Amino acid sequence: MHALKSGLRWCFQRLEAALERAFGPRFNPLPQLGTLGWFLFWIVTVSGIYVYVFFDTGVTQAWESLERLSRDQWYLGGLMRSLHRYASDALVVVVLVHLLREFALDRMRGNRWFPWVTGVPLLWFMYACGITGYWLVWDELAQYVAITTSEWIDAIGIFAEPIARNFLDSGSLNGRFFSLMAYIHIALPLLMLLFMWIHIQRHAHARVNPPRELALGVLGALVVLSYAWPAHSQAPANLDRVPFTLGFDWFYLAVYPLLEFVGGNVLWLALVGFSVLLTLLPWLPPLRKPPPARVDLANCNGCARCFADCPFGAITMVHRTDGLPYQHEAQVDEDMCMSCGICVGACPTATPFRRAGVLSAGIELPDRSVAGLRDEVAAAAARLTGSPRIVVVGCAHDADSAALADERTAVIGLPCVGMLPPSFLDFVLSRHHAEGVLLSGCAAHDCYERLGDDWVEQRVANERDPNLRARVPRDRIAVAWNNPARHQRLRDSLAQFREHLAGLGPVRMRASAADALPSVTRAWRARLREWPGPLRWSGQAVVYALLAGFVGFFATQPAYTWLRQDHALLKLSFSHAGQPLKPCRRLSHEEMMNTPFSERRASDCERGRWPVYVELDLDGQPVYRGTHEPAGLWNDGPSSVYARFEVPAGRHRLAARLRDNGASSGFTVVAERNVELHPGENFVIDFRAADGGFRFGVPARPVTDEEAP
Amino acid sequence: MTLLQWQDTYSVGVAEVDHEHRGMIELINTLHTALGAERSGERVEAFLGEIFADISAHFALEERVMRERRYDALAEHKADHERLLDELRDIMDAQADGDSLDDAQLGSALAEWFGLHFRTHDARFHRSLPR
Repeated sequence: MHALKSGLRWCFQRLEAALERAFGPRFNPLPQLGTLGWFLFWIVTVSGIYVYVFFDTGVTQAWESLERLSRDQWYLGGLMRSLHRYASDALVVVVLVHLLREFALDRMRGNRWFPWVTGVPLLWFMYACGITGYWLVWDELAQYVAITTSEWIDAIGIFAEPIARNFLDSGSLNGRFFSLMAYIHIALPLLMLLFMWIHIQRHAHARVNPPRELALGVLGALVVLSYAWPAHSQAPANLDRVPFTLGFDWFYLAVYPLLEFVGGNVLWLALVGFSVLLTLLPWLPPLRKPPPARVDLANCNGCARCFADCPFGAITMVHRTDGLPYQHEAQVDEDMCMSCGICVGACPTATPFRRAGVLSAGIELPDRSVAGLRDEVAAAAARLTGSPRIVVVGCAHDADSAALADERTAVIGLPCVGMLPPSFLDFVLSRHHAEGVLLSGCAAHDCYERLGDDWVEQRVANERDPNLRARVPRDRIAVAWNNPARHQRLRDSLAQFREHLAGLGPVRMRASAADALPSVTRAWRARLREWPGPLRWSGQAVVYALLAGFVGFFATQPAYTWLRQDHALLKLSFSHAGQPLKPCRRLSHEEMMNTPFSERRASDCERGRWPVYVELDLDGQPVYRGTHEPAGLWNDGPSSVYARFEVPAGRHRLAARLRDNGASSGFTVVAERNVELHPGENFVIDFRAADGGFRFGVPARPVTDEEAP
Repeated sequence: MTLLQWQDTYSVGVAEVDHEHRGMIELINTLHTALGAERSGERVEAFLGEIFADISAHFALEERVMRERRYDALAEHKADHERLLDELRDIMDAQADGDSLDDAQLGSALAEWFGLHFRTHDARFHRSLPR
């Protein structure tokens, strides 16, 4: 597990570094996979509503209405229909990569289990939405999806009669089952939306919208794909025939072909097992993390800044418990705290200028106290020689800031750079500990602790409390947000920053109250060599083209072979009640008179039936032998049979035999028939006791031979 | 001699804010007394640091109370908080760098610094609260 995770992480970090060159940090698609998922969901919703307006929910009209939409209204209706398909497929891609990435970057462990665990049912919802969607079109693929899904559900064995019997032949198709599917296809996305909302509940300031440029890029790619390669139905469904090959949506149906090899029950077990494993993953093995943040009431007045900044909603403001005349105090939920320290960075009492007593902030990380941090900064800075001296404050997930330490550079490592209270920046510069401070963190907008870089930028820019004091010169505070794969970029930033500082001369805070405050309010950042514009745009175009091509191709290719050429499909399926275990006994007149009027009946029957045993031979060779227990809690329901066989086309002799009376030998009904099976034919062998026994093929089919006795 | 005296007119009518105002006046007075007793630069510096932390926290709480009560002059009031904190940091730096103010200067700077904000901004907030 660990090796897998490290390997994946290595890949993701390199891929992200590459994408960052083309997209820049703000529009890098990988940190935006979650928001892209939301965006694609909305595209699917809007296009789905549009298509639904023109959609006829009827077995015969559905296919026709959609093809008419694509034909007569290709510019909008066709576009919407194609977008509906391709955005759904892109959603699968985005969601699966999102899942892999959160796993690889270890952002689902320990107290971060909640979004991960609530994401597991979302996977099921997503697939169920896609599968029911393909069902509605009622083309050949829909026929495959309907039959295979029903057979798969039947493998669980909870229904008295197999659902797959609804799709046995054109005569058995039930329109109401079909409209039920339309309602399910609307209800499931609503449920999915509810779970998407729950999915982000534990994230404060959860992002649900991708940056506009990225959203437009993805939408543009899907629109181009939709016009270039419009989504069309395959031939209309015909339950009397089996298509040899199908255009196959591998994003949603990839597991279906497995059913032919492993069987329904095994696949259910595998998928449920996989889901359980996924659900348990945050605790495999349990995360060893430092102790959670602790509130020191003596220094907490309930100002709620930690509450506002906690990225994980781990802090709540509760009524005061120590009798002081404050209304509230902060309380840390230990089961949600990630020990990132961002709350410490928000606390107004976490200032290194306090020297009178023990420095203790209103909220502290037990393993990384503010007092210890102050001493560490002062001690590390004191060892610096030369000029200009720089204090680097790095985080546990940045591009290895620890390696930057040298005689002119002190490095302070924090769990997250957002833990640094802004007054520390004032402290370092005004007390002449260094000439500049470089804040190093994760890639921009991709902070491991979610919001560390955002808060740091906003605190420095006077946009968020606690503000960095206006008197602190911003051009001596540098920020460098880097993916771990871009250590060299961090080094370049540091080198440029030092050059920049050398040109500034000695540190000068505001000298007197009369001095104007520095006008620059943003932190300094290095101008690093980036790809030239045209190269960046080409890179982005390539990524969008790859997405469109990937989605467009696997939405229908490669074709799936449902039935081998020159074969027909033989289905043995019926529902028949075996005979009662004991014959009913007519009650005598006296017996009837002796029972109360309301319970009087003509005969006394014991519940329970014999199982039905059935045999099928093809050209004298046995192809099926099976005993089928009666359905129902009292074993008094019908026994159901559903089996299918691929048979070479041509003339065959079929022999079917049935026993429903519990006898140890002999048969109740025996039938034989010579049939001519055409390639691609769906040939059903039914049994209806009321109609005289076995039926070979649909009733209209001409009989090729005399019925055997 | 105490530098600042709590006056009932200082009350803004919010218990937790008044509590902190009292605490800060006490702290400033303690500092003032300490200044009179022994002029140790380091000690003054330490006290100023405590005052800075206390006032930072106090302003944070006051701003929260104002935000919750949708105080219309929050922006101006907060700007004055920021200005006061910047000036306090100027005084602290001057103290730390050795060119310390004398007793009278420091005392009057703090009293002025604190009293004016009390009399103007905090009073306006008090008047804005429903009685």
